[in-house]
Amino acid sequence: MSRICLARAPDATWPVAARPTSLSGRPVRRLARATASLSLLTRVIAGSAMLAILVAGAFTLLLIATSHLGQSTNEQAQSRDLTKATLGLERVVNELEVSLRSFVISDADTRFLGSWRQGRVDVPTAIAAVEKLLPNDLAQRRQVEQLSLLIHAYIDEYGLPLIAIARISTSAARSPVATREGLIRIGSIRNHLSRLLSDEDSLAAQYAASAKLEAARAVRIGVGALIAAAGLLVVFGVFLARGVARPVRMVAAGASQVARGDLSTRLDEGGAAEIDTLTRAFNGMARSLEQGKHELETQNEELRHSQRMMSQLVSVVSHELRTPLASIRGYTSVLLNRDVAPADVTHYLEIVHEQGRRLEALVDEFLEGERVEPGRIELKDEPLDLKPLLVAEAQLLSSGTSKHQIEVAIDSESLPVRGDRDRLAQVIDNLLTNAVKYSPEGGLVEVHADLEIDAVRVRIRDQGLGVSEEHQARIFTKFFRGDARESGITGTGLGLAVSREIIEGHGGRIGFTSQAGSGSTFWFELPLTDRRRPRAADGSTGGEDGDRDDAEPVSLPRRL
Amino acid sequence: MPDETTTILICDDEPSLRELMRISLPSEYSFVEATHAAEAIELVERVQPDLVLLDVMLPGASGLTVLESVRSATESRPTPVLVVSAFSAESDQRAALRAGASGFLKKPFDPEELKTLVEDLLGART
Repeated sequence: MSRICLARAPDATWPVAARPTSLSGRPVRRLARATASLSLLTRVIAGSAMLAILVAGAFTLLLIATSHLGQSTNEQAQSRDLTKATLGLERVVNELEVSLRSFVISDADTRFLGSWRQGRVDVPTAIAAVEKLLPNDLAQRRQVEQLSLLIHAYIDEYGLPLIAIARISTSAARSPVATREGLIRIGSIRNHLSRLLSDEDSLAAQYAASAKLEAARAVRIGVGALIAAAGLLVVFGVFLARGVARPVRMVAAGASQVARGDLSTRLDEGGAAEIDTLTRAFNGMARSLEQGKHELETQNEELRHSQRMMSQLVSVVSHELRTPLASIRGYTSVLLNRDVAPADVTHYLEIVHEQGRRLEALVDEFLEGERVEPGRIELKDEPLDLKPLLVAEAQLLSSGTSKHQIEVAIDSESLPVRGDRDRLAQVIDNLLTNAVKYSPEGGLVEVHADLEIDAVRVRIRDQGLGVSEEHQARIFTKFFRGDARESGITGTGLGLAVSREIIEGHGGRIGFTSQAGSGSTFWFELPLTDRRRPRAADGSTGGEDGDRDDAEPVSLPRRL
Repeated sequence: MPDETTTILICDDEPSLRELMRISLPSEYSFVEATHAAEAIELVERVQPDLVLLDVMLPGASGLTVLESVRSATESRPTPVLVVSAFSAESDQRAALRAGASGFLKKPFDPEELKTLVEDLLGART
């Protein structure tokens, strides 16, 4: 039987060429087992949902990474602005210092006070600009607050008194004490400013590094998500190809094979629900077709056999019926057309009568032959002894032949069987008649019968033509006559077929052994009704079986 | 004309048909009868009949075997053989004629037809 492999259930055996190598491994098998009975629709929807979830997840991660990058960039920009504002504050402080020192050195030239005043105006704005840009860092805030205090102290506690002193005495204002005080204060302010700048620089460097890291992460996530989505798409495509395209291709191949006449084609069932239904339906269809074809072939063979039988029947009828017909027609023609002496008239009419009877017997035999089908012969079921039947038939036949010697050898006192006496007599008559017919040169015909463990076995042996090997298999076939026609042996080819039906109808067996030219031994066996029966005949007790009452009593033969 | 010196061999295993053939033909003829092939062959050689009426289906061997023996035994002066058979299909008739039969008569036959055929065959011989 042809077998086409489809997308298989995971536990099915894969053909070597189709064994999936890229998707091997336990997790895949478990997944495949879990999804084996799912429908294609469910699988496609599940696959699409997985793909959507993966793509959405990848893009969410990408968004998060991008947002982190933006934040880092903002922080970096803020840090830059803060540095700028701090530098602005430093410039204002420098302006204040330079204008103050210039005023003192220039012997209180009031032109320099313009810059001083402008510086004082600018100080709150510059400090506010720095404060505004400060991150939520407490240490930095404190630092700025202290810086603000120092600047204000420089203005209020040093600058303004120094201007006032310089107006009175420039030399006092230029005294080393005053100058040192100013330098100390400015130095302290500058220290704070430079610390603020250095802190900010380090923060800016930190933000820049963080931004770089986030950017690299965002790129990695983006590329990873793209690769994963592409991979999932490929897997999805492979799944669709295997789940849909491959089964469809296989079903198409199976259909082509069926179309070419190979009705034994079957597809492996299993796989997705739709494919399983499809393959089952396909196999069901192929099975029905094959069964139908087989039935047709059987019927065809039976028809051919019937036709052969019919043609043999026609041939047999043609010869067997024509012989008595020839006598009837010939003698009646003579009686009608010629003057025949009265004594001859009677003789001819007797011949016509006898041939008419022969015709009738032949017609009966043909009708009987027509009934030779298993179960079509009706059989009585009564207890009987086969021994007297065999003796009587042998005597009847020996009276009709001078060339043959018929011997009956039966050791048992009786041969108790159940069955149809007339039908069994017909079988014995048939086998004996054949033994004589097929020994045209005459000879000995022996009849043996034995009691076996559970059967009666009868053998009829002749010294005749025998059955050639080529004909032995067909000898019980209806209308089969082997070489009988060529050998000039008359008959219908029905006797053995009828005999077999009768014996088998009794639950027995019939057969023969033969060698062409050396005679034949035909035998039959019938089930023994009761194996104690022979002892009963010797006077021991019998008939103990309650259900055997109808078999009692059997009249036992006193002859032989 | 029929005369007593004309011998006819009737070869058929059916006694009633042998008798029918005999009474169908003029009683002036001499008749010998055989019931099987071997007997027929033996009589052909011994009696040397003027005509043989031969059935095809004979015990022991086919009538066509007898026909072949008749043909080889009477080569110098062929004896007419009329095959009388129940196997009357054209193929059977052709087989008989091929084997050397002088005529074919199918069973059942009309006694008058048999008589005419026999007289024709004997006439043709003389």
